[in-house]
Order: sequence, then C-alpha cells, then structure tokens
Amino acid sequence: MTKTAEKVLLKGNHAIAKAAINAGCQCYFGYPITPQNEIGEFLSVEMPARGRVFLQAESEVAAINMLLGAASTGTKAMTSSSSLAIALMQEGISYIAADNIPAVVVSVMRAGPALGYIFPSQGDYFQTVKGGGNGDYKTLTLAPATVQEMIDYTYKAFYLAQKYRTIVFLLADGLLGQMMEPAVLYDYPYEEIDNSDWALDGAKGRPGRWIGSIHRSEEVLEKKVLELFKKYDIIKQNEIEYKTLYAEDAEILITAFGSVARIAQAAVKQAREAGLKVGLFRPITLWPFPEKELYKFATGKKLILDIEMNMGQMLEDVKMSVSGQAKVEFYGRPAGFYFTPEELLEEIKKQMEGLK
Amino acid sequence: METLVFQKPSSIQKDCNVTFCPGCDHGVAIRIIAELLDELNLVEKTIVVSSIGCSVFLNDYYNLDIIEAPHGRALAVATGVKRSKPDKFVFTYQGDGDFASIGLGESMHGLSRGEKVTAICINNTNYGMTGGQMAPTTIIGQKTTTTINGRDPNLQGYPIKICEMASICDGAAFVARCSLDSSKEIENTKKMIKKAFESQINNQGASLIEILSTCPTNWKLSPQEAHKRIREELYPVFPLGIYKDKTSK
Repeated sequence: MTKTAEKVLLKGNHAIAKAAINAGCQCYFGYPITPQNEIGEFLSVEMPARGRVFLQAESEVAAINMLLGAASTGTKAMTSSSSLAIALMQEGISYIAADNIPAVVVSVMRAGPALGYIFPSQGDYFQTVKGGGNGDYKTLTLAPATVQEMIDYTYKAFYLAQKYRTIVFLLADGLLGQMMEPAVLYDYPYEEIDNSDWALDGAKGRPGRWIGSIHRSEEVLEKKVLELFKKYDIIKQNEIEYKTLYAEDAEILITAFGSVARIAQAAVKQAREAGLKVGLFRPITLWPFPEKELYKFATGKKLILDIEMNMGQMLEDVKMSVSGQAKVEFYGRPAGFYFTPEELLEEIKKQMEGLK
Repeated sequence: METLVFQKPSSIQKDCNVTFCPGCDHGVAIRIIAELLDELNLVEKTIVVSSIGCSVFLNDYYNLDIIEAPHGRALAVATGVKRSKPDKFVFTYQGDGDFASIGLGESMHGLSRGEKVTAICINNTNYGMTGGQMAPTTIIGQKTTTTINGRDPNLQGYPIKICEMASICDGAAFVARCSLDSSKEIENTKKMIKKAFESQINNQGASLIEILSTCPTNWKLSPQEAHKRIREELYPVFPLGIYKDKTSK
C-alpha cells in the first residue's frame, strides 16, 4: 500500500468517519442523534461505495447489539452516538467487554442530564470511564482535543480494540464534532491483528466456539472476571497517554481533558506570557487514567485546578491521583457554555490571589 | 456384525448433559435443527445466536459457533453477524418472551429489513427459566406466577400473536407456526424449519418459525397433559400453519 498523507479542511465528525474508513472499518451501525449525525450521514454514502456495511438501526439498543454481532466475527466495526443514547447502549457495552471482543464506540457528548440539549458538554465522563453497564469491566477511553486528534485516536481506537479484544471509546464532545479545522489525513498506521484463533466464522475443521457471558459455576465466573482484569492490568502498563505543558516548574497545575484541555492550553500560554507559573496536565487516556504520572507532577505544586465542562467528574480521578499531595480546586460549567482562554486566565489569577 | 441405524446429529455435543426439565420440548427442537444442519450441509458455516431464557445454554448442546445475545436482542445480533459475514448461515434460537416482549422491536425490524437470517421462536406461553411468570403469549385465563387468577384482558391485555404480526413484515420470506406435540407435528415442524433455512440459503429474506412448546414444570402438568394442553388450549388461540411464503414466487 502506498503511503499517502494530505492536508485537508475537515469537520471533527467527518474526520472520525474518514479515519474509520482508512482504519478498515467494515461495518457501521448507528441511530441518528445530534451532535454526531455527520458521521452516519457520511458513512451511509462512503461505506456502501466500498462494499462495506452501513446500517441505520431501529434504536441505539439495536445498534450496539448489531455491533456485538459483527464484533463476534472479528470484523472491524463501530457505532457512534451521544450521551442519552450512549446510556441506552450500556447493557450491550457490558456484554462486549465481558465477551473479550473488539469494538469501537464514538461518543460525541452533548449537554444533559436527560434530553438537555445539543450544546457541547463533558458530562459523560462518568458514563464512559466509570461505566454504566453492570458488573466489573472497564472501557478503554481516548479523549481527542483537535480535529487532527480525531483522526489519530480513531486509528488508535481501532488498533487497541483489536490488540486487546476490548471495547474502546473515542470520547469527544459537540464542540470537537462540529468544529472545522485543517488536519493531515494519512493512512492507517497500525499493524493488522490476527483473530483467527477466536473469531466466529463457522466451525469448519475445528470444534465450535462459544462467545458468551453466562457461567453457571462461581469458580468459572470468578476466573473469567479475574482474567478480564489481568488484561486491564496489561492495558494500564502499556497504554496510558497524557500530555503536559509547562508542568515541571508550575505553581498551579491545571488538569483538563478533550476540548477543554485545548482551551486551557491557550490560557496557560497567556498566563506564562503574564509571568504566571501555570502548567497543564492533560490525560488522553481517561481509562486507564494516568494516576502515577499526575501524582508525580502534582507533588509540590501549590494548587491543582481541575477544569471541566461539567460539575466535576474527572475531578474524582484527579483527587484520587493527587492523593493529598496538593490542594485541588475545581472550575466548571455544566451545560453548553464552553470556556474562553480569557475566562480561564481570570480564574487562574483569582486562584493565585487566593493562595497568597 | 453391528449396523448403525441411529446416531446423534454431528453438531450435537458428545456426552452433553441435558438440563431441560422432563417433558420439555426444547430438546426436540434443538435435535431437529441439528438434523437439518447435517441434511443441508450447513454445520461448518453456521453461526448461532442464542438468547436469554432456557435457550441460553445452547453451547451445552451444540458443537457450533455460538454468540450469546442480550435479552431480546437476538435479531439485532444476528443482523450484525450476517451483515459482517454474508456467506455464513445464521439462525437465532429464542423464547417467546425474548422474541415478542423485550425484543419485539428488534424482531419486527429484523424481519422487516429482510435480514437473511432465520429466527426460531419457542413459544411456551410463559417465562420458563424465571419460574413461570406471564409472557406476551400467555393466553386469556392462563394462570402464571404473576397472573395467579388467570390472565385477565382488562388487567393484562391480550396475548401477542407472533406469526400474525410477522406475516405483515414485507422483508419476511417465510413465516410459520408449528408444534411438537406429536411425531406427526415434529415431522411437520422439521419441514417448516427446512423451508425457512432454505429461504435463507436462497437469499429470499428473513424467516421465522414459531414453535408451540411445552413447559410441564411451570404449567404443572405431566408431559402428556402438557401436549394435550397445546392441542386443546393453544391451537385455537395460535393456529398452526404457514403465515407467509414468498419462497416459491
């Protein structure tokens, strides 16, 4: 395959859709919900044009279960949705996790609770990272902050899903989904993972395979969950990703993810220009959360300021990671008002005053 | 010299431990499906979608590739399997509660889309695994653990007619209701399932076989009485027959 890369002007949702095609996604199942409709609309044309599957499901409940079916055959497949509709998928997500099968779920968050509205929000950190389905399982969660990263992390989501046979979330928000900016679209950079030792394709010349979650013996069920968590330990060891900016010598360290991290980055630069020792710690994998890394950077800081477009969700992981090594404050707005760098700079100055 | 005159179908597990209650028809349904997989040479290309209820333990009986669907979602899971692997043979095995209560949406949409899959729905007019509660198919007057005075249409409404509903789905190629209450009906059920399987093989659309089946434990009847009940009480409400056949057109 020839390596190609082109600079394009792209909307965030289209970036996800194009990257999914490049990643070799063979099946897309989805149900309309704003602010992610561009993904399904784009794929409804481009998937059939390549002999691949686009299917508009009758509900999000059906969509996640179609994804479960396609994933069980080892096929690269995805769904995309938003907030209240991701809520409807939680049972299926738990099954996919328990079944050790690879699937990609794109979540473009809107403001809640309940119907809320289509404004950008980060109100589904808990829903995604802490799960909403039943039982002990984890969802590997990647949080992009730019249209370029929508491409980068869609690729990575497909790769990690296949590599670990697990469900991977790409957690964006309405701001990122609807935003248009230049990005480089390049070929899928990861190796293909062989799935011939587990995928369902008809028991030809081998015993039948069963993919399921019911185990009628306590010993077997416990063993299955422990095995799942052994896999999660390996993911924790290998896949934690985060970025920092001026984090070493900062007095105040901001923690933020996704689109807010990008706005915070601008605020941090402005603060530095004003001579204020402010830094940024941005988790990219929300699960696994960069606990040890944040602990290290937080130690010795005067203040950790967690900023989110919600009422304080990642805040709990931040506090747990900081483990009392520094004071933690929170600044957030719950529904639709995204921040400006100036607003954040003002908050940073206010917090600095408070430290005196 | 011994002559082998009878053997297990090839897709039935060796030494399988059957956990169905005595007199339950599930075992017969599972067996005749396995016979057809051999007869139609489908064993090595089959992916089965199991469901929630007494139908969940298919992996204890079948030596086939099986994916377990969440409760009611078998047709959605089957859609994902078949769309991703169109050359495979895909059937669901579900109870009436799974198919027609919690899963009615997925069932009707799967049939309407004409998914090239076959749904086998075991209708025993109650939730067997959970102890015999009212099902969507519980008939008027039938006593269950949640209708102890009998199903009252003023309180619990009327039973769902699965084949009648399925027959109006344009995507359905073959829809039939049959029974396992006698060897004659078992033979007929096998014929109906065969027609459904063939409609899938010939890419004619979705197919559904509803099978009236016994649940002696929860009906509190002997196996013989349970089969008698099917003939006397269920036939009038759920008439046997072919409800849709687009296979010859």
